[in-house]
Amino acid sequence: MCLGLTLVLPFGCSRRENSTPQTSQTFREVTDDAGRRVAVPFRIDRIISLAPNLTEIIYAIGAGDSLVGDTSYCDYPPAAKTVEKVGDTLHPSMGKRIALRPQLVVVSTASQLEVFTHQLETQNIAVFVTNPHDLEGVFRSINQLGTILDHDDQARQLVGQLRSRTAAVEAAVKTTQPVRVFYQLSAEPLYTAGRDAFVTDLIRRAGGLSVTAGVSGAWPKYSAESALAARPEAIILPTGGSMGAGNATVAEPLQRSPAVEQGKVYRINDDHLVRPGPRAVDGLEEMARSLHPDAFKL
Amino acid sequence: MTTSESSHSRASTVYFGSSNRTTLRKTFIACAVLSGALLLVVILMSLVGSERLPAGASLCALLSFGRSQCTLTSDQFDILFQIRLPRILLAAAVGGSLATAGASYQALLRNPLAEPYLLGISNGAAVGTMIALVFFGATEWSRPLLAFVGALLATLAVYRLARGRAGATPERLVLAGVIVTTFLSSVIVFVTTLMDATRIRSFTFWLLGDLSGTSKNLLPVAIAIAVVGTVVLTANARSLNLLMLGERDAFDLGVEVGRVRIVVFLVASLLVGSSVAASGSVGYVGLVVPHLARLSLGSDNRLSIPAAALGGALFVIVADTAARTLIAPRELPVGAITALIGAPLFIYLLKRT
Amino acid sequence: MLEARDLTIKYGERVAVANVSLTLAPGQISAIIGPNGAGKSTFLQALNGQLGPTSGVVLLDGQPLEKLNRRTIGRRIAVVAQEAELRFPITVLEFVLGGRFAWAASASWGWETEHDIDVANAVLHETELFELSGRLMNELSGGERQRAVLARALATEAVVLLLDEPTANLDISHQSTLLALVRGRCDNHGASALVVTHDINLAAQFADNVLLMKDGHTISSGRPEEVLTPGLLRDVFEVIVLVDAHPITGVPRITTVHETHRQV
Repeated sequence: MCLGLTLVLPFGCSRRENSTPQTSQTFREVTDDAGRRVAVPFRIDRIISLAPNLTEIIYAIGAGDSLVGDTSYCDYPPAAKTVEKVGDTLHPSMGKRIALRPQLVVVSTASQLEVFTHQLETQNIAVFVTNPHDLEGVFRSINQLGTILDHDDQARQLVGQLRSRTAAVEAAVKTTQPVRVFYQLSAEPLYTAGRDAFVTDLIRRAGGLSVTAGVSGAWPKYSAESALAARPEAIILPTGGSMGAGNATVAEPLQRSPAVEQGKVYRINDDHLVRPGPRAVDGLEEMARSLHPDAFKL
Repeated sequence: MTTSESSHSRASTVYFGSSNRTTLRKTFIACAVLSGALLLVVILMSLVGSERLPAGASLCALLSFGRSQCTLTSDQFDILFQIRLPRILLAAAVGGSLATAGASYQALLRNPLAEPYLLGISNGAAVGTMIALVFFGATEWSRPLLAFVGALLATLAVYRLARGRAGATPERLVLAGVIVTTFLSSVIVFVTTLMDATRIRSFTFWLLGDLSGTSKNLLPVAIAIAVVGTVVLTANARSLNLLMLGERDAFDLGVEVGRVRIVVFLVASLLVGSSVAASGSVGYVGLVVPHLARLSLGSDNRLSIPAAALGGALFVIVADTAARTLIAPRELPVGAITALIGAPLFIYLLKRT
Repeated sequence: MLEARDLTIKYGERVAVANVSLTLAPGQISAIIGPNGAGKSTFLQALNGQLGPTSGVVLLDGQPLEKLNRRTIGRRIAVVAQEAELRFPITVLEFVLGGRFAWAASASWGWETEHDIDVANAVLHETELFELSGRLMNELSGGERQRAVLARALATEAVVLLLDEPTANLDISHQSTLLALVRGRCDNHGASALVVTHDINLAAQFADNVLLMKDGHTISSGRPEEVLTPGLLRDVFEVIVLVDAHPITGVPRITTVHETHRQV
């Protein structure tokens, strides 16, 4: 990796002629989560990740060496912090990405895609989109990346471990009554997890019932009245990870809820709940243990 | 030559009552009617929300000023008095403040298009609030205070930019407003990029107007500022009537132009600052409501300023009720609703005049 | 009584008015005439405090203007100038009532009294606008609007009237009417008036006293017959004029003599 010789090109990339990074490459065709057929080189040494969860997966399957660029939010594992930063989908650093001459860019969102995938494709850089909505989607992403990066075995092994841990949790909470949970993304303004949020699936598996599971969207701004009327038995506060010290207090309308009165307010590392990666199973376990402590006594 | 060469078209405004001018009696009646309407709307909108409350019991509790629970459960009582009513009162304060500020700017700057939002004053207050959040996050008072400072600085910037040899013509004013607004918008965008994704989402929502903030301490302050501000500006209404016709005319007729200008700028900035600090930028209120007030009640500021205050309160209460019920239990930013109603309404008003 | 003593007004290096003095005596109409850029309007603006003089002083009833507050000045001096563009709907009555502002009991709040209404109505009658009291100002013709501006100035009951090109947009019938009203005020109420005008004949007809200005200086001052002479007018306006006496009124009548006429 010639990071030291990387040039930073000016923005407004011009169309270059066929500047394929390597010489004769054989490609395989894969279909990504957005239904796009992507031609991916068989051997990949240079990959850029534009999402923290994908960075974690890449390291977890042992392919960390091929990571040449990631986002400023990619902070786990610690090695990811030393990799060259190339912005993220909200603040793209297009010039840098192109200058690093990656063979593949992996993305974990379906938004704002058209804008930069086109730019990258004109540079003959393949873009692979993952869009995991739930835990199954995470396992699928791990397998996909395992295939693409030729680390199939590690991927399969990782998925196997994660599946058994998940199954253990689900078995433990099977006989319990689901706990009514309110997931508070932020207090003021009041945001929660809706139907399409990744964490809603985790809550269900952890033996909880998100009171906002039926609300449309992923992260809806929620009515204070409805939060109060929901009377949740437990409140989950994602905090301490990327969120830092924020979101550590329960929102005002929930102050008199059964959850607060019985002290069932659980602060869990937000990176374990929001990133669709291997640590999501950590989050699953933490939530399950909090919601059903008796089921894990043994 | 005939005595009147003017066209015999009907007056395009409706001056209720047959009088040719605004009298104390007219003002009193109009304000009484609007106040009654406001009270009615406050009560009615308290009965509406994302959670169903029994209408009869709610009405009973409201009319007892919260002293009696009237068969409401304690949750329902809390929803009514801890969440809905404070939010409605905040909406009234914000709407009244913004409409009064708009009416005063329009009179002082002789421009029917002068509005806190369009002139960039709301953005100035927003930048002030952002600075308060980032640097003085803990202190509750820092937000309205810095919002006021931001609004005042933006006002001064627009005024200085607009002042040419011939005074602040409406064209120069609008241009200055555009410059200040866009500049401050880019400042806001810049600071936003320094935030993380979660903060960005909630901040963007707030920027569009969000009345769900629950600062219990600041609500009485917001109401007090709205009331005091309206009273002070109405007290200067007679001067503003003359200033509306021209700075030179006003001066010649005895108005202390400099003093009135300072008072209006200070008080209007205070009104805008307190509104934005409480609820972000709720646009179009300061534009549409004073227009409607003048169209139906005449240009005399002694009536149109208090009428705008009451009308603005009404407007934002209704808009906010829509914002919190249309996609319940989710919420929309109230600024989006005021823009959706305000923009077409304004186009219609423009066509009429 | 309004008196300007040795007034000089400078904009940076440019001298707009240089050492001009004028006394407006009760019952008298004074006219200022001169070419464009003579400083006439600038001088007028200094007389009610709109502009501060660089040197010299303006005395109202013996007191310097700076020492008086706006309301006091507003009660005694009224200005009739080109009316600014009206951007808000306002009735004629409301417009004229604006002239009563300086008489309000408190500094800015308050409502018009019965007396205010009476004065406004009287003035509306005087300017023949009473039937139009309820109309909106922007529905009036140019001439009617200018009469309304005069009506407002008269409503202030000021003893000094300053008129800046009051007849600029009026046809001849209205020009005379307007100035006749001013004349009436001066004769019947002892007011004094200063009229800045381009129309030399109007000045000759109505003024008791004429001030001829050029480049900020007073060229001549005195009765119309003394000032409106062919020699002085040629020096100031650089045009040949014929001055004779109006056959009916006897006042000086000024007509310009063009090159083409001389062929005859």
